[in-house]
Amino acid sequence: MAGAAREAIPRRAVGRLSGLPTRRIIQWVLGIAVVVGAALGASKTLALNTFSASAWRDLVVFGVAQGAIYALIALGYSMVYGVLRMINFAHGEVFMAGAFSSYFVARTLDHSGFLDDNPIVALLILLLVAMAGSVGVAVLLERVAYRRLRGATRLVPLITAIGASLFLQNTARGFFGAQTRGYPTPQILGGSWTIFGVPILRAQVIVIVVALVSVVGLSLFVARTRTGKSMRAVAEDKEIASLMGIDVDRVIVTTFVIGGMLAGVAAILFAIVFQVVGPFMGFIPGIKAFTAAVLGGIGSIAGAALGGLLLGLLESVGPSLFLTGFHIPGPNQLRDVIAFAILVLVLIFRPGGILGAGDAEKV
Amino acid sequence: MRKSRWLTMVALVGVLTLVAAACSKDNGGGGGSTGSSGASGSAIDCDTVQFGCVVYGPGEPIRVGTLLAISGDVATLGVDSVHGVELAIDHLDGKFDATPGQLLGHDVTLQQEDDLCSKEGGQSGATKLAADPTIAFVIGTSCSSAALGVADTILSDKGTILISPSNTAAGLTAPSQHQPFYLRTAQNDAIQAKVVSDFVFTKLGFTKAATIHDESPYAAGLTGGFKTFFEGLGGTVTDEEAITSTDTDFKPLLTSIAQTHPQLIYLPDFNPACALIAIQAQDIPDLKGVALMGSDGCGASTFFDQAGSAGDGFYLSGPIASPGSTTSALSDEYNAAYKDQFGSPTADFNANAFDAFNVVTDAIKTVAIQGSDGSLSIPRVALKDAVFQTVDFAGLSGTLTCISTGDCQAPGAVNIGVYQAPDAPVNPATPDAKPIFNEQLTLAEALGQ
Amino acid sequence: MPRRSEVDGTPLTRHAVRAGLMGGVGIVYLALVGMIQAFSGTSLIGDVATLARLLILFPPFIAGYVVVRPRVQGGETVTVAPIRALTVGAVTGLIAGGLTAAGVALVEILPEETVRNIFVAVTTQLIDIVTFDRSTVQGIAILIILAAASGALGGFLGVIRLRIRRPIAVGIIVVLLLGMLQDVFRVALIQLGVPTAWLYSARFGGLTYLGGVVVFAVAAAATLVWADRRRLARAQDEEEPAPDSRGVGQRPTQMLIAVGIFVVLALLPVLLGTFLSSVLGRVGLFLLMGLGLNIVVGYAGLLDLGYVAFFAVGAYTTGVLTAAPDSGSSIHVGLGFFEAAPIVIVIAVVTGVIIGGPVLRLRGDYLAIVTLGFGEIARVLVTSDWLKPFLGGAQGLIGIPAPSILGFSFRDPQPFYYLALAFCAVAAFISWRLATSRVGRAWTAMREDEQVAEAMGVSTVKYKLLAFACGAGIGSLSGALFAVQIGSLAPSSFSILISIQALAIIILGGMGSIPGVIVGGLVLIGLPGFLSEFQEFQLLIYGAVLVTIMLLRPQGLVPNVRRMRELREDEEAQDQWAKDLDADTRRAFSAESLGGPPA
Repeated sequence: MAGAAREAIPRRAVGRLSGLPTRRIIQWVLGIAVVVGAALGASKTLALNTFSASAWRDLVVFGVAQGAIYALIALGYSMVYGVLRMINFAHGEVFMAGAFSSYFVARTLDHSGFLDDNPIVALLILLLVAMAGSVGVAVLLERVAYRRLRGATRLVPLITAIGASLFLQNTARGFFGAQTRGYPTPQILGGSWTIFGVPILRAQVIVIVVALVSVVGLSLFVARTRTGKSMRAVAEDKEIASLMGIDVDRVIVTTFVIGGMLAGVAAILFAIVFQVVGPFMGFIPGIKAFTAAVLGGIGSIAGAALGGLLLGLLESVGPSLFLTGFHIPGPNQLRDVIAFAILVLVLIFRPGGILGAGDAEKV
Repeated sequence: MRKSRWLTMVALVGVLTLVAAACSKDNGGGGGSTGSSGASGSAIDCDTVQFGCVVYGPGEPIRVGTLLAISGDVATLGVDSVHGVELAIDHLDGKFDATPGQLLGHDVTLQQEDDLCSKEGGQSGATKLAADPTIAFVIGTSCSSAALGVADTILSDKGTILISPSNTAAGLTAPSQHQPFYLRTAQNDAIQAKVVSDFVFTKLGFTKAATIHDESPYAAGLTGGFKTFFEGLGGTVTDEEAITSTDTDFKPLLTSIAQTHPQLIYLPDFNPACALIAIQAQDIPDLKGVALMGSDGCGASTFFDQAGSAGDGFYLSGPIASPGSTTSALSDEYNAAYKDQFGSPTADFNANAFDAFNVVTDAIKTVAIQGSDGSLSIPRVALKDAVFQTVDFAGLSGTLTCISTGDCQAPGAVNIGVYQAPDAPVNPATPDAKPIFNEQLTLAEALGQ
Repeated sequence: MPRRSEVDGTPLTRHAVRAGLMGGVGIVYLALVGMIQAFSGTSLIGDVATLARLLILFPPFIAGYVVVRPRVQGGETVTVAPIRALTVGAVTGLIAGGLTAAGVALVEILPEETVRNIFVAVTTQLIDIVTFDRSTVQGIAILIILAAASGALGGFLGVIRLRIRRPIAVGIIVVLLLGMLQDVFRVALIQLGVPTAWLYSARFGGLTYLGGVVVFAVAAAATLVWADRRRLARAQDEEEPAPDSRGVGQRPTQMLIAVGIFVVLALLPVLLGTFLSSVLGRVGLFLLMGLGLNIVVGYAGLLDLGYVAFFAVGAYTTGVLTAAPDSGSSIHVGLGFFEAAPIVIVIAVVTGVIIGGPVLRLRGDYLAIVTLGFGEIARVLVTSDWLKPFLGGAQGLIGIPAPSILGFSFRDPQPFYYLALAFCAVAAFISWRLATSRVGRAWTAMREDEQVAEAMGVSTVKYKLLAFACGAGIGSLSGALFAVQIGSLAPSSFSILISIQALAIIILGGMGSIPGVIVGGLVLIGLPGFLSEFQEFQLLIYGAVLVTIMLLRPQGLVPNVRRMRELREDEEAQDQWAKDLDADTRRAFSAESLGGPPA
């Protein structure tokens, strides 16, 4: 509308017009209050000394493992946002689809004993099936729901994504029944390995290793390969990229495919750790993963990984560390509060997320 | 100009509202049935008695409502109770032959509503059933959360009996909260809490326990009762925690509890939380040797499916049929018929549902007015009075005597048993499992009165 | 219109095959998700047309319609000859039926356990329904024939003139509605004393054949007359152009329609009896929420996904202030409902300002996720053990008294409905006045281009906070009503689903449009309440409706004129903001990140 006018207005003038100083003061006060509160709680908890060192260590490991799963899902969100500037709210259901499709195969493998006899081969098969399921749903979403909405305003694709999420969850409920089911896992995954003198559950080790490999692999892919470069180009400017001869449609579909593959991996990891599947299992991890992506800085791989890790740690260690000192009953119930409070804080001071560019002067 | 048009419209709406409200009071209030009071010279006049009567013409089926948890993760509980009711309808002719019998010459049909194990479900289901004047009584709810303050009030306000096969929360029959038309054939959970604490303290010899509830009135009632009784025996509750039933990650919580060094964790919640905790507790080194225990909410077939071998050693408490009761022949027939028609039971309360149906239908037989043309009138208040006067009814789940606060299991001793997984009757693999501990208490004994 | 045998360059037959396959997938989907079996108990017309059967024949119908409908090609509208349309439609339907038949055959051949173990809905009962209660071979044959017929009908409707098509379509829709809402209409007619035996069959529960035909004829005729009347009026208009209509209030006929709608709304509870009135009460609650959210999202353009927070604040404040001593909260004030209401509103507004203040700078999606977080925080806090002494924790609060006036207790469904309606009227009035005032114009300016609005002297912060405050106040009123309706509060009621439902209502109806909110509320809350079979699939249908509306008609059913124009323009405000951050990032980071704006 008035693009030229927009650029002509100096930023400081705009800032003064919106009464910035009072708001800034309130924001800083809030931020300091939360930080001081957290520090106080932490020091009190440590003073109480109810948690042994090994307990803290376990909590940290749990947080890292949970965070690894969040990170993998968050990567999918981040990539799609980078390319399309939209939140794929239904990404949690992409994750769920991978879990369910591999569940039926896992069940058959379990009944025939194959799962326990050849665990590595079985897991690889399940991984492939999960990836196929997730990719299938992701591509379907892109084709049916999102393709037509490329140029639309902010709200429209978001609502579509929310609708798609509801639709997919309840389709799964209609197809497979609403109850949660146990996911069979190979027996060798039970027990723990001792790494650097720290006993870590085998399942958690696998989760962390696989997540690391995926993140590194993805970064290399995006940086080095031609497709990766095309993705970055489309992310920067769709129109110019297409003028340069890049097939934008194909790149977008590739983005969804990669996001789907990562979600499929996350699904298998989730199944290994928690051993349950259900039609609504993707909803909450989806929201958490999106929070993680925004926390870390949406649009960047490092941001999604960092955000996922941080969120996992906050959820695991946070309640025990910050709240036990204040003798708050049932601190683990409040872990979402901690997570979102941190999110709000981060966004107030760094609207782009931790690894995003932080320009607090933005109106 | 526009403003005055708006004002006129608002005024119009206001007038219409008042008029309509005045008319609606007549329509809505007396919307029940005011049928003829039968020709056999009874003393009750259906047109003037409070709440009126439920009237069925000749050949019309008697409609019984059910408000049970028939969908979602708790469907194992509600559907199991529905089966109990269906068997009761089958048995109206005295035999379990998969053909429904008749009550006083009328067929019996069910109007099934879903209580969604939540307040909303209880409210909407109860409102629907209360608004239907052809519903004679309602069997429900499955979950206490759907009944407390919601379904019991809504149905009592319309004079419809609500009799529950599985509500166990104590608050439902507390004198200050009890609704006049509410009863239950399920035990009062104060009894189960007492038996659990006796088991933990005397049989297992533990003095330190932690509790986890899932924020439902049922679970919170049990953990609260457990705390009272356990501490009364001399034990200590080292940690009281809460979860949400949709959580999947319990490891930080379990680590936190482990720091308080309990000997047992009592988690009277529902699946899949019970199963998940059983699985994840194995991964917490600090919880080695700490026992886990749940109650009938955990005791569903899904626990064994979801937890697998990780569930072995998990203790489950639940009601069991009184040993040596006079109806044992009937209960053998009943159990065989259940297996025949529906497979193995998925929860512990189907017998209570069977009893609930029969308690009320017995009362119907005494107060119903049969017209010479084959019509049937059931006065609501008389029916309620008759049900509350049930004494020594030989039920499958025990000898039932209903007291004024709605507990039909109160004076009768309730038998609570404790099983250790995988040997539990709700495990499809071990349907004939025996309890490792059981105690028979009346409510008065449990409360130490 | 020119007639072609091609559409978009590909032969019609290929389109027909594709549409037919899609139609078949549609039928199979409806079967697998359980809808067909769930609806098999409701008969719509006589004893033949159950809702399940109509549902089976619906996808081929749509497929046939879509293949042959006129579309713009190369600058002109092309269509297909009627006879050809019929055959093409029939072929489409045939393929759809064939695919379904293949599915049935597959299920019959495979051992039952294999299929049943994966898809729980595939039972013998389902197969019976799909084969129209005949043997497999006969049933499949009937299925294919009927599907072909539906496809042909769809094709037929696709090519006939609008003047004929509209009455037929409206007639069919009205018949379906009357059939599906049989409980509602039959009860209403009985209350009015109108004999219904000719219209609704007592045995099957649906319309009688006679009733179906009569309803169809009346609806079709009415549509025809009304359409002709409107065409004449429009012709007259072109001679004397009318001023830009801003919705209700300008022309006499529109005023009359509005008054008529109010009268109907006011009389509904009288007609419908207690259960249906309680459904309407729930509709009223959500309408109130929709009106509040409409101010935040529709007028000010702030994407709020956590509206349930204000709802919870209103409900719990009312509960704590008015409940009896035993309620579960340690706070006991014991005010009456109408005394507590102003306090509730004030507390909610303060909460809204506190929540809104720090985050209103954020744009679009970020605001969405942060408000989502607030909604979740609200739910966690009211459930928590930490705040249990004040808010009742997981047990919630009980013993909230119902206010009463002149002997009518507002807990009874009918008086409650009127209370809700009164509040909605007030909220609608406030919304309308705000929209047409200076505040509304500031909101519109802010919505369309924030930085220019700032430059013009519009303090975006102030007006955003105002929008949030208004939304908070109205939302809290809705929560207060909710507390009164049940008399007790359980924290499980305050989930993200409520925020999504409120959002869905205003999206469906049209953002920024008050009549739209009413329509949205009736459709999304009223219909599932009246049609009990739909309740099981309520969320599934929500999801499908949201996606469909956004794809086909993002401005909603009853759009606000100005908003429609905005949606059609390309609003790149957030992209621009993001792109500005871009420049800094590019300098700051290596090539490893995904490029693009990380924020």
